[in-house]
Amino acid sequence: MTSSALLSLRAFFRSSTRNSSTFRRSLLFVGVCWVFAAVASTTAAELPTVALFTTGGTIQTKGAHRLTLAEYNSGRVTPDELLTDLPELKSLAKIEVTEISNIGSGGMTAELLLKLAKSINTTLARPEVAGAVVTHGTGTLEETAYFLQLTVKSSKPVVVVGAMRPFTAISRDGPYNLYNAVRTAATPEAAGKGVMVVLNDTIHSARFVTKNHTYHVETFVARELGPLGFVDSDRVVFYRNPLVRHTAASEFDVSKLETLPQVDIVYGYQEASPAPILALTESGVKGIVYADGSPSYAKAFLTAQSKGVVIVQSDRKGAGRVTLSERGAGRGIISADNLNAQKARILLRLALTKTSDPRELQRMFNEY
Amino acid sequence: MKLSRAFLAATLVIGHCSLALPFAHAQEIPPITPPGLKVPNVRLLSLGGTISGTATERLNVTNYGSPRLNPEDWVAALPELALFAKVTPEDIRQSKEGGDADQPHMLKVARRLEELAADPSVDGIVITHGTNTMVETGYLLSLITNIKKPVVMVGSQRPWTGLSGDGPLYMVNAVRVAATPAAAGKGVLHAMNQNVFPIRDVTKASAYRVHTFQGIDLGVIGVADPDIVKFYAEPTRLHTFKSEFNVAKLPAKLPDVEVIYTYNGTPGYIVDAMVTNGVKGIVVDGTGAGSIPGSMNDAIKRAQAKGVIIVATARTHGGRVQETPRRTEAKVVPGDNLPPEKARILLQLSLTKTTDLAEIKRIFDQY
Repeated sequence: MTSSALLSLRAFFRSSTRNSSTFRRSLLFVGVCWVFAAVASTTAAELPTVALFTTGGTIQTKGAHRLTLAEYNSGRVTPDELLTDLPELKSLAKIEVTEISNIGSGGMTAELLLKLAKSINTTLARPEVAGAVVTHGTGTLEETAYFLQLTVKSSKPVVVVGAMRPFTAISRDGPYNLYNAVRTAATPEAAGKGVMVVLNDTIHSARFVTKNHTYHVETFVARELGPLGFVDSDRVVFYRNPLVRHTAASEFDVSKLETLPQVDIVYGYQEASPAPILALTESGVKGIVYADGSPSYAKAFLTAQSKGVVIVQSDRKGAGRVTLSERGAGRGIISADNLNAQKARILLRLALTKTSDPRELQRMFNEY
Repeated sequence: MKLSRAFLAATLVIGHCSLALPFAHAQEIPPITPPGLKVPNVRLLSLGGTISGTATERLNVTNYGSPRLNPEDWVAALPELALFAKVTPEDIRQSKEGGDADQPHMLKVARRLEELAADPSVDGIVITHGTNTMVETGYLLSLITNIKKPVVMVGSQRPWTGLSGDGPLYMVNAVRVAATPAAAGKGVLHAMNQNVFPIRDVTKASAYRVHTFQGIDLGVIGVADPDIVKFYAEPTRLHTFKSEFNVAKLPAKLPDVEVIYTYNGTPGYIVDAMVTNGVKGIVVDGTGAGSIPGSMNDAIKRAQAKGVIIVATARTHGGRVQETPRRTEAKVVPGDNLPPEKARILLQLSLTKTTDLAEIKRIFDQY
């Protein structure tokens, strides 16, 4: 296809989207009317306030045309566009928007994470705010969600949401995910359960969930522990309370932090070289999380530890705990429990703001 | 006694708040009771099951049976149990020859559980059961016993004599879970294959594999790992000490409720036959999201006219049957995400209290 043909195709999709938007909205309105009757019989005056924090991600990204489901790169969706696109939110809550960033999840930084957590803490401290929703790219969504689980100082519901298909795509999942995220954040029963991830009608704990597929809409799963509940048409339903320490009960405090200690990850495989461990140590890293070991790592870890680097053992299998062992403890290696490497890294960054004592670090990995 | 329990709870690296010992003592299963402390008392009740079955050949893992193990045999075969608990066996089988126990016997079991739980010298209870219907029995027990102490159900996929039999490790782990203070207050638990599930949310999902027990919609709440027993979540649905049902207040025989599996063209005469036999409720395991085939509509209406309560579940093995205007108009109670065999038990119990549809729906929303 020539570039001019592509351009006209894009123009066609754009104009057809515009022309059909009124019809689409009225259809949607009729379609969800009875849902509202069941779930939200409140009047506008008593609607809860839900704070929406936008960071970007696929849910806020446009593609060249409706079939662009990968490598979409044709502009970003502003918070205003998100809300205009989803008038049904007005029946659920008063939405108050804070734009943190508008980037893909690969660009998330410690500075942005801290800005997001501080902003959520300030907002949720206001009594009239019922809960918070955060838009995020799905690639590293679980890391940000777990960071918030450890740093939000509120038991009000915090829901992180994203989409697997861009804003412009055919059968895009973003609108329903965002609608369900706001419903969950406005549900009193969702309080006290820590930070949640809502996509594909499913409510997951930030602690348990991981991204499990490159493109499918059911990508977010908790392989062993399963979801906390579901967002169904008739109601938001919960089956589990997480028992790990989180949010209001967390000991971590970001209010005075401007950055986080550097922690990196090393993957394990046959004949893995110790060079990355030594290079990271040279570069001044404060902690290393390894996802499975290699015989060559043992000596390199000793070198790293002699320079004060903390070593945490995670696993590349995707489920199950790294059990506590005398051997690991004797070597001063911390077990990541059943945290995957990317989440163990988040916890270690926060833990290192408090201590570098291996026993105290292990307590934190046992509890959070 | 009270002091030592409190100390146990506070010091052990178990449950969600691992307070004192950041490192366990060994890679292998360590005793969960620190030296010098009182070992928990666990009662091991046998309702039989494959875990009690034997065969003369180690490779016979399908056609086993008698002679069946008595509960003392497990304790004798597993000296390792003493690391974790003082295990007292008790035989509560209806028949020593195997086979399913009937519901009146299950009510007896429920009464015995309450007696044992009320005994201050008992810290936890393990019940063995055949795997095919163990979660039905367990769900019934979780709804009608007012108990906070750990109650753990266990079985096995291979007979006690089978090569690489899974029973011995499951038995050790079930006793470990029952001896864990953090296992209290979470309802009747299911501990096999190193997983811990609330009995409501686990289903047998494979005929022979050792990982047969799965949560279709939901996951485990804890694990029995080589180092520790650890809990990550608790169920929010009502059970045991939070349940409005209790064995002491139940009639000797629960109301008859039957299950109909559906498919294209399911005939109405199945419904009519059940009604003729005096059924009080029918669980229709519907297609898709709990749809009842049109071929049954007239018979369902005839049944409802005689006061029979209809609950819809979904043969999809996952997902809730939701409340919808059409379903409400058809006076069909949505069965949440219960499989039909568990919805049957909840409907039987509901019908001992009410025939009001809104009230039965509330019960299905909460349990």
